[in-house]
Amino acid sequence: MSETPRLVGRRAWRPHWPVNSTRVFKRRRWPGTKRSMLKLSGRYNPKTLRREMVLTDKKPLFWSVGLLALLLLPLGIASERFFTMFGIICIYAAINVMWTLIIGTAGLQSFATLATVGVGAYGAGYLSVTYAIPWPLMLLVGAVLGGLMGWIISLPARRLDGLYYALLTLGLSEFMRNFVTQSDELGGKFNGALFGVGRIIPSDLLTTRLGQSLLYLTAFIALLIALAVYRWVNGGRTGILLRAAATSKEDEAFASALGIDFNKERTRVFIIASAMLGFLGAFYATYIGGTSLQLFSLELLLLLLAMIVIGGLGRAEGAVVGTVIVVGITQWFTDWGPWRIVLVGVLALASVLFTRNGLFGLKAQIEEIRDRRKALYRAGITSRYAEFLPQQAPEIHDKSAIVGRVFERSLRDRLRSWISPELIAEHEAKPLGQHSDRLERMLNYFRKAPIPDKYVVYCEVPFESYRVVALSGLPGVPPRIVDDKKYASLDEAYHAVFLRRVNDLRAH
Amino acid sequence: MIEVVISALVLASMYGLIAIGISLTWASIGMLNLAQGFIFTAGGYTAWLYAQYAEGWGLEGVGLSAGVLIFGMLGSALAGLFVGAIAFLPLQDRDNFRTRSLIATLAISLIGTQIWLILFGPQNKPLPPVFGEGRIEIGPAGMSYQQLGTIIVASVMLALVILWMRSSRRGLQMRAMMMDPLGAAVVGVSVRSTGMRVLAISGALTGLSSVLLAQVFFVSPTSGVQPLTTGLIISLAGGLGSIPGTVAAAGLIGLAEALTARYLQQSLVPFVLFAIVVLILIFRPRGLGGLLEDVRE
Amino acid sequence: MAILEIEGLSAGYGPVRVLHDLSLTIEPGERLGLVGLNGHGKTTFLSAIVGLTGWQDGSVLFRGEQIGGRRTHGMGRKTPQIVRRGIALAPQGDAIFPGLSVRENLDSGAYTGATWRSRRKRRERILEVFPPLAPLLGQTAGTLSGGERRMVSVGRALMSDASLYLVDEPSLGLAPKISLNLVAALLEIDLGDGAMIIAEQNLPLIEGRVDSVLGMHAGDLKLDVGEALGDVPPAAGVHL
Repeated sequence: MSETPRLVGRRAWRPHWPVNSTRVFKRRRWPGTKRSMLKLSGRYNPKTLRREMVLTDKKPLFWSVGLLALLLLPLGIASERFFTMFGIICIYAAINVMWTLIIGTAGLQSFATLATVGVGAYGAGYLSVTYAIPWPLMLLVGAVLGGLMGWIISLPARRLDGLYYALLTLGLSEFMRNFVTQSDELGGKFNGALFGVGRIIPSDLLTTRLGQSLLYLTAFIALLIALAVYRWVNGGRTGILLRAAATSKEDEAFASALGIDFNKERTRVFIIASAMLGFLGAFYATYIGGTSLQLFSLELLLLLLAMIVIGGLGRAEGAVVGTVIVVGITQWFTDWGPWRIVLVGVLALASVLFTRNGLFGLKAQIEEIRDRRKALYRAGITSRYAEFLPQQAPEIHDKSAIVGRVFERSLRDRLRSWISPELIAEHEAKPLGQHSDRLERMLNYFRKAPIPDKYVVYCEVPFESYRVVALSGLPGVPPRIVDDKKYASLDEAYHAVFLRRVNDLRAH
Repeated sequence: MIEVVISALVLASMYGLIAIGISLTWASIGMLNLAQGFIFTAGGYTAWLYAQYAEGWGLEGVGLSAGVLIFGMLGSALAGLFVGAIAFLPLQDRDNFRTRSLIATLAISLIGTQIWLILFGPQNKPLPPVFGEGRIEIGPAGMSYQQLGTIIVASVMLALVILWMRSSRRGLQMRAMMMDPLGAAVVGVSVRSTGMRVLAISGALTGLSSVLLAQVFFVSPTSGVQPLTTGLIISLAGGLGSIPGTVAAAGLIGLAEALTARYLQQSLVPFVLFAIVVLILIFRPRGLGGLLEDVRE
Repeated sequence: MAILEIEGLSAGYGPVRVLHDLSLTIEPGERLGLVGLNGHGKTTFLSAIVGLTGWQDGSVLFRGEQIGGRRTHGMGRKTPQIVRRGIALAPQGDAIFPGLSVRENLDSGAYTGATWRSRRKRRERILEVFPPLAPLLGQTAGTLSGGERRMVSVGRALMSDASLYLVDEPSLGLAPKISLNLVAALLEIDLGDGAMIIAEQNLPLIEGRVDSVLGMHAGDLKLDVGEALGDVPPAAGVHL
């Protein structure tokens, strides 16, 4: 996703550095595709006359570095603590990315995330414990259950206002928790926990460092799958159009004008995301070898919310970074006890109070504040810019037109202030000939006016009848008759034209 | 059957108070206060603290009970003002107020639970029985003093609030603000001070509910979660912003819960409630009393 | 002391500037008519006095106290405080409370403790000014007709002890006979020490019955009312 150019403000700066290469137009691409790697491209700099490389978009670079760090850090350090922490980061980040898909692209304010994850986890876990199904089937079952749950939950979404829907889904988690606690097969015996769920990495391997590394690898791959799904949905035609429609504040007519059935596509995205959430739930069950009621707890849901709020709502990078921050705090400072969560809550509160959209919205927020201040300042200084709105100035390609308009306005203002009965009487006395300075300037201005709609004298009968007409300015189009008055002398006609021009000057 | 009705009324009284608080806050300042759980628990702990001190001084009987009730309401009212100072005042005239205040109240909820944990520990704290231990027989059935007291106190409180809203100057201003914020501004009604007042009142109602509920359960850091959810569901079903609708929904939900607990299983209660609410929302997407919403918009 | 002293008032919404450097003084007992076409800043002018614009700059002195000043955001934040100093505004579009009864709507105008206690007397005084409201006291305001709504809105503004009454387009959307009666009633009210500004598009309604008339054109105040209303009069002494 490259950055959209802003109309007001400075030109975007892209990092570039000179290289010693003679190939100008070749660039590395992913084999078989036309995509360049990391959005690097080579170009020829006309100023320095050197070949250089330009990074047209910093995002792929950041993503690559970030994901690489996420992969290598725990594998490199290989301590139990790191594996736990980063494993949780991967899983929660995947959940949050899917949640971002629901909130950002589908535009549904749903709190049913954990409920869906739990359905996948408990469903697949139960089947594994009771029927010992292999883990690929578990993951599939999770996805199917998740998609089904998503379909069920999406039904009320059409009828309900966004806020009502958020509340309904909030209550859903609570009820799921109640259901699981009450039901014996699903773990009522152990207070909601299931044990003995099949795992991807065989249990005897897990005590070794290799096993731990492999386990972490599976979590990382789950995250990659989630990100891939996000990219696929978000970057595809549906995602782009849905997001474009969302900018007009839920105007469905606008969305259907864009060519998609808004509700159907929204529901589709929601179901896909829910299926992924179910998949992640089943994966979670295999990851820890069981399930627990904690999945339905309000506290975990609020923590996930804090993660996406701190990172920035609606962006995948916000979801991942927010998860890293929050899980980092909760897992690292374990000896703080409940103060860890207080810190997370305070950060989330600060994000929502002071920032417009979390960490990744900061840049846009600062720019917006700056642009707004500029616009206010421009509006407030003088009425010089009253010829056009300040935002239009950068859009007008020919800047001299702006100067021209300003000059015209001030000129007309000055001439207007010279209009007086004495001036008019002076012209009536002697339309042609030498005039006072002011009258002369005014007449010069009038006579330099462009042809379209210019008042002129029309001679009907020489020395007897004259009229005032207005030229059209178009070839082949006759002038229009302004009124039905006929003037006996040319001087009267000249004066009439002058009066009309003066009137027009006064009016505008 | 009578027991079911009594049970329903008791449940409706307890949860309805919270629901009305949520509804009022939404209608007057457009903020969905999901920190009600935090406010709920605040009242419970304040009442418990009072009970500790009062029993230490040997206070008993009516003095103890009245104090427990009053301090419960006071504690929650203060918590409500606190929530307002953080989630309402700073965000009130900025854009996206609805979503941002929602998230802010959720954050407060998150922090609050931990604070209670830190301050009071995870153990359940009981409250002294406010209404005494006896029973009273009415016709074929009997109810405990606690049940009777709950219904009476909740109804009286609700009636007082409604009366105040309808006849006092501040109440009129509050209702006016619900309908037209510009009109309210030109008659000198400040959204900020009225909003804080509303939060204090809805807090007091929640605090009362907390004390009443603590007669049956306990006060603990997470004791506010389930009442919040139920209160939320009731105000959803009743229509956010409609007091009559919320009262009706409270009655309905109370009845449903009582019936389910008696004739089916306690474990099925969440399902039945959820199903009822979804049904109501399918046929009336704005809840039972959705008319006020239309007027507001 | 002048009731209202405005100097260098500019105001607007976002990047758009509506008022350009206005200056005006209003003395006690004065009734001022403000005429101009739609969109030229009459409503913005009245809003700027009570702080309901997006941003504003310039000094607004109400009875010697500064209620204006430079403000870049926070539309309407200070309005309740400003209104409580003694300014009553009947906004364009009425802004009455549709779910409340007419009586309650009027009562909401008596917002201070003292005025609230004497609200019945004040209500009766309003009913003398607008007799058609008398049988409607118990009716829900949302069900009233346009003229009745306007009367409620103006009546509400008159319920308080204001020193400055701002009435925005009293005749907007009303049938000629109703607006005639309404504006006549408005113009007959005894102002005492106070002042009134009526923003009106229909010049004949107020011409001659207010103390002075100003034109508003493109955010500038003009003495030549005709120009503000769009008739461009011919230059003096000449006939075309």
